[in-house]
Amino acid sequence: MVQDMTALREGQRTRATAPFPSTFALKLVMAVTGVIFIAFVFVHMIGNLKVYGGPASLDSYAQWLREVGYPLIPHKGVLWALRVTLLVSLVAHVGASVILWARGRRARGRFRRRRSSGVTAWAARTMLLGGVLILGFLVIHLLDLTIGRAVAPGAYQPADADGTIHAYTNLVASFSRPWMAAVYVVWMLVIAVHIWHGWRTMAQDLGATGHRLRAVWATLGALIALAIVLGNALIPILVQLGVIA
Amino acid sequence: MRIELEVWRQDGPRERGRFEAHVVDDATPEMSLLELLDRLNDQLVEGGQEPIQFESDCREGACGACGVTVNDVPHGPVPRTPSCRQHLRSFGAVTRLRIEPLRSAAFPVVRDLVVDRTALDRLIRAGGHVDVMTGTAPDADAVLVTHDDAEVALDFAACIGCGACVAACPNGAAHLFAGAKLAHLALVPHGRLERGRRAVAVVDALEAEFGPCSTYGECVEVCPAGIPLTAVAAVHRERLRSVFRGRAD
Ligand code: HEM
Ligand code: SF4
Ligand code: FES
Repeated sequence: MVQDMTALREGQRTRATAPFPSTFALKLVMAVTGVIFIAFVFVHMIGNLKVYGGPASLDSYAQWLREVGYPLIPHKGVLWALRVTLLVSLVAHVGASVILWARGRRARGRFRRRRSSGVTAWAARTMLLGGVLILGFLVIHLLDLTIGRAVAPGAYQPADADGTIHAYTNLVASFSRPWMAAVYVVWMLVIAVHIWHGWRTMAQDLGATGHRLRAVWATLGALIALAIVLGNALIPILVQLGVIA
Repeated sequence: MRIELEVWRQDGPRERGRFEAHVVDDATPEMSLLELLDRLNDQLVEGGQEPIQFESDCREGACGACGVTVNDVPHGPVPRTPSCRQHLRSFGAVTRLRIEPLRSAAFPVVRDLVVDRTALDRLIRAGGHVDVMTGTAPDADAVLVTHDDAEVALDFAACIGCGACVAACPNGAAHLFAGAKLAHLALVPHGRLERGRRAVAVVDALEAEFGPCSTYGECVEVCPAGIPLTAVAAVHRERLRSVFRGRAD
């Protein structure tokens, strides 16, 4: 017993020193890449609203994305810059989240509480699974509407040789399938929970301590999450209802 | 009233623990959780058995020595109340209590319900303090603090160091504890010259032994001092501040 106590007192630490990379740095990576994703998802949602303007409106937007900045920037230059930024951020976000998750498990130890305190704790628990689901949906989405393979609608039309894009036709063809419409709606709900809790954690990680700042931040987060769900999820629902055709 | 208990027994840090079933028949509503354990221990001693080891000191919610997990909640079923201030009269219909130590990898069990919380002390030793001149007492108004700052600093200084926040956290994080200390010390003029160094030292110690904060918010539900989640943001604010300043202050 005395020896045991000495062992305890001589700093029986979980770790001898702070881990590398530091948890603080990893949380900053989560926060910064999180901002990038939220900005992207938000702007993407605004772009999607072009669907209400009809085929010409959405298709020319898709076209514009590929040509913006030309001739200063090569064709698809902006598009590829965005894709690379997002891919690098994704690798960093997922990598950091896995390390943080493992550190949390190790620090908690052998015993796990079964009881939890409410909706915030619930949202926090969904983060890793939610992230994995978002990744899965992302693969489906790219196959469906960008690449046009596997889960894509039978009537998928790749871009013409002259660069004409059939975004609207493909979107309507895809969302006309009830199961695919449902997949997109569920995806948006998962993203909303992830953003809702992620937004709150971001305020913590970036050190927002002021009362007013925290109140404004919370409201803003709820509005952004709501806008993203409504703006996006309404599209498959309206296709199913025959309003968009 | 009759209380049925399942209590964690563990003979030493390296022994395997187990739950032991006991019944206290003559419990009264005004008993605190710890008085219930006292009563049970009387019974055990009368029966020639070893009493259950647990920690307590002030028994009035001031010292932070007490702390057991009751039915999966650190400190017990009454929110934001230390174990010594949890009274049976507040438990409603609950008469079956499963009592175990505060659980976290950073808090090894010493014996029965007693855990070693010196990981928290190591954090304080690393940076949760200020350097002050010793000698004769300074004049009362030599160092000025505004009333507002003093109030907020005192709210954060209310942390009693019980460790319930760590035990409540699914990540085994101690950010509420560390943040309470950093937020408190950042607001008072004493030790202002070591503000940045303190943030680095505290965060290093925090990360060496505890987990990351993912904003579960479980800690604030059990904290007997009512430390808010803002304390966690204070950890990162202080640490970020030290990055931008790049100096000791
Ligand atoms: C639409 C895409 C995504 C958005 C908008 C997003 C946004 C965010 C934000 C803002 C945070 C809070 C960051 C912080 O800690 O300060 C976060 C945290 C998190 N994200 Fe994502 N994320 C996305 C995709 C993913 C993916 C694909 C994963 C894959 C595993 C993931 C896993 C996580 C986890 C586990 C956390 C919690 C980290 C923690 O607090 O310990 N996320 N996310
Ligand atoms: S922050 Fe609250 S729960 Fe954590 S040690 Fe201090 S008083 Fe206890
Ligand atoms: S015994 Fe002092 S706080 Fe409970």
